[in-house]
Amino acid sequence: MQRDDRQWRLTGFSAGLWCIIVGVGMIVFWLAEPVELAARHPEIFGMKFNAALAFTLLGGAFVAALSGYRTLPFLAALPVFVYGVIALAQHVFGVDLGIDRLLYDPFTDIGTSVPGRIAPNTALCFILISLALMRRALRGGSDIVQLVCSYAAVAIAATSLVGYLIDFDTAHDWIVHTRMSVQSATCFLALGVGILFVGARPAGYQRMAIAASLGVATYLILLTLAYLKVSAQATRLPFAIDREGISSIAGTLLDLILLSGLIYAGLVAYSYWNSRRYRESASHLSESQDRLAAIINNAVDGILTVSANGTILSANPACQRIFGHAPADVVGRPIRLLLPGRLAGGGEAAGSDHGGAASAGCFVTGGEMDGQRKDGRIFPVELSVAKVELAEGTVYTAIIRDISERKHFERQLLAANAELEEFAYRTSHDLRSPIASSIGLLNISRELLENGEYDALSGALERMERNFTRLDQLIQNIIVLTRDRLMEEEDQRFSPFDVVQNQADSLATLEEDGRVRIANHIPPELTIVSKPSKFEVIVGNLLSNAIKYHDPQEPDPRVDVRLEEHGGTIRFVVEDNGIGVPEEKRPLLFRMFKRLHPSRSFGSGLGLYIMKKSAESLGGAVRYEAKDKGSRFIVELPNGE
Amino acid sequence: MKLSTILVVDDDENDQFICEYTIRKFDPAIRILKAHDGTEALSVLESETPDAIILDINMPIMNGFEFLEHYATAFAHHAPVVAMLTSSQLGSDRERAMRHPFVKSYLEKPLTIEHLRHMQELLEA
Repeated sequence: MQRDDRQWRLTGFSAGLWCIIVGVGMIVFWLAEPVELAARHPEIFGMKFNAALAFTLLGGAFVAALSGYRTLPFLAALPVFVYGVIALAQHVFGVDLGIDRLLYDPFTDIGTSVPGRIAPNTALCFILISLALMRRALRGGSDIVQLVCSYAAVAIAATSLVGYLIDFDTAHDWIVHTRMSVQSATCFLALGVGILFVGARPAGYQRMAIAASLGVATYLILLTLAYLKVSAQATRLPFAIDREGISSIAGTLLDLILLSGLIYAGLVAYSYWNSRRYRESASHLSESQDRLAAIINNAVDGILTVSANGTILSANPACQRIFGHAPADVVGRPIRLLLPGRLAGGGEAAGSDHGGAASAGCFVTGGEMDGQRKDGRIFPVELSVAKVELAEGTVYTAIIRDISERKHFERQLLAANAELEEFAYRTSHDLRSPIASSIGLLNISRELLENGEYDALSGALERMERNFTRLDQLIQNIIVLTRDRLMEEEDQRFSPFDVVQNQADSLATLEEDGRVRIANHIPPELTIVSKPSKFEVIVGNLLSNAIKYHDPQEPDPRVDVRLEEHGGTIRFVVEDNGIGVPEEKRPLLFRMFKRLHPSRSFGSGLGLYIMKKSAESLGGAVRYEAKDKGSRFIVELPNGE
Repeated sequence: MKLSTILVVDDDENDQFICEYTIRKFDPAIRILKAHDGTEALSVLESETPDAIILDINMPIMNGFEFLEHYATAFAHHAPVVAMLTSSQLGSDRERAMRHPFVKSYLEKPLTIEHLRHMQELLEA
């Protein structure tokens, strides 16, 4: 639409320039006074000197108005308006106000009423066009007054121009011997059309309607003039019979012309209505295309169209994000560039080595596939494909979604679920185990009591007690694990020396013979920032583990605890000289419910698992190192400072 | 044919104690062999084949299932009655154990006289 307006502005400038060229040209002709040329081609001098000057002014005024000037075009159009009014008044009132030869005395005359006098229709057009131009200059845009004035001027000029074309004098000679010249008619037409159409749309006027009605109006004016001429001719005939004959022929002719005029008007109206409808549907179409383009261009998913032989026809911007190729780079390339034809399950898709058609064939199935990025990386995509039958052949539209993240979470979820299932299975077993055992022991105890075997009874009761202690330990561990997982804990500054000391003290009371010596090498003044309860869980589990698996044969069983902090990382090391972990069992060390020492199967089997989970929830990691004798556990945690 | 030798494979001392007590009560003449995990059981089985094996599933080093795999492949001659004795009957454990033809029974802890009577019947069948 904006391009349309620019074109009309260009037309307006051309109209103004045309008037200036014609005006200046005619002034030059008049001033040069070429007598011979005037004798041979008197029609050239149909446009009077005054008129030439007026057109130069009007042309300049229109160009200036289009260029955005206000005062200049007004001042240029005003004298033309005054001149037009005076010239018309001379015709209407039959007077000579001396304006015709005020500036220039014509050296030749084509036989006008008064030498240098312009025709009344020319004068009227000057009034109309200058009025419209003054309005345009004042308002800066189109309005109804300009529309009416220029409309009338265009109709008059067009009528006279058509009159020249069909050799019909009445069209331009409103009074005998004074006519609107061809040059003047073209200038009025140009200016009138310019004023009518430039800026018509912003002002809300339909150009098509104006043009169509102008056509009809010109036709009707010509028709009326023709009728008037025939009637006038008829009245001039000497005999009444001839007059009647001519009148009846004229009447028939007129009816025919009127009928054809009606058909013409109907056709104009129909074509106008049709073109409006076409414009509307074209604008709807372009709107819906814009909307669709906005959706496709802003879609998160990649959207491709692919021909039946597997050539990419279009790609949206999201494809660049997904595949790394710019949309322009993939258009015209085979779809295998992006989807190498390997199905997500691995292996080449059936028949994909038969060229393009087959690769499109594998592509049309949709589902989960492997995509390939520009850098060659293979990643999972989800594809949904629709087949579209068009006049020029079959195309496929594909919506492509990068599902790397979803697959990653899926794997994480599956792993977490498997761990949870394992946990449920093992806890249900390990919870029931001491109870089942106690039920058995209870039955035995009852029999022993009945038989009075009190020594054996006391042994059975001790076994039951150990069962329940084990059960209690397991439940305590599950509580720690759950709390560890659910508890939100703030970072705090604390002394790791104190934590180790407290844990060591509380373990010493539980230890059977108190042989294991715990050496706390942590500097007492050192403080770290972490989550104290989780750190406590780590320390407690590592120490109790070291005590549990001490070597009974060792003369000096000991545990050494060290902690260093540098570069924001805390390195906590617990070393013992116990029985160690056999090499083949080390991969199972941190798994839940793995008790690696058959002869010493106390404990829930959750200790190191809980320790590892606690370290991970602190953003750290834990590893095991074997020593020549015993074990070394290293926990690395970020220092929250 | 009477039960005369039973191998009890269990890592839990209390369960071993209950088994021993119950078997003694059922028939004091039965000889009891003990193993604390699958590997110990395999080494016992290398020297003799008992009439019955009572097998726990969750054990360290080599669990009940791993033991069954080894026992099925490495031994041509199997004990006539192998009974699983476990603390919970959960999931697919039962089917996994019963796939082996020599596994005749799947029992829940604690071991009772009825369990042993059932094993005696299986041996006679």
